[in-house]
Amino acid sequence: MASKPECACGDTSAVAGGKKRIIFPCAGTANVGLISNAAAFQLADEGYGVATCIALLGSADTGLRRRIAEADEVVIIDGCPATCGAKIADLQGIAIDQHIVITALGIDKVYERNYTEEEVERVVSAAWEGKGRT
Amino acid sequence: MKIEVLGTGCMKCKRLLKNVEVAVQELGIAAEIKKVDDITEIINRGVMLTPALAVDGEMKVSGRVADVKELKEILKG
Repeated sequence: MASKPECACGDTSAVAGGKKRIIFPCAGTANVGLISNAAAFQLADEGYGVATCIALLGSADTGLRRRIAEADEVVIIDGCPATCGAKIADLQGIAIDQHIVITALGIDKVYERNYTEEEVERVVSAAWEGKGRT
Repeated sequence: MKIEVLGTGCMKCKRLLKNVEVAVQELGIAAEIKKVDDITEIINRGVMLTPALAVDGEMKVSGRVADVKELKEILKG
């Protein structure tokens, strides 16, 4: 009798073909920065990768650098064209595999705390679709 | 072209299906896209890890969500 297939939801690092990803949202304070955080958490919930603090990357934390070295892909989610997240990665000598800029997805930057689930979904979809591949 | 996404309906299955739809649209090809969520059929097709992708009956991806770029390469053959 054939065994039941295994679903690859959750952590994919242990399954064939799964990629271990680290996701850094820029975590800015405008709406797009807040969306970057929400999208990173949703991607983590969906098993895309592990959401990690960009400030920790900026502090040159050795444990994080080791985890990055062990990861297959680094994903940066920046809110706006200032691309602070990508610049922090660059300063730390970290190669980026996928870089998503939220304003490039048609979401305007405003200094408000309001955002919608549809806006978060647009960013999450972009990551899954690989729109930010470098 | 017949494209099948095999999976029982988890988020990754849905993401793979959506990526397939985007890839087909961007390539502008004629394709029948089918979602296979019957566990018995998935087992009978020999899939051990879902989500999986079959193109014209041939298994191309298993156990992960392929992104649009990779899917376009697969579909272009």
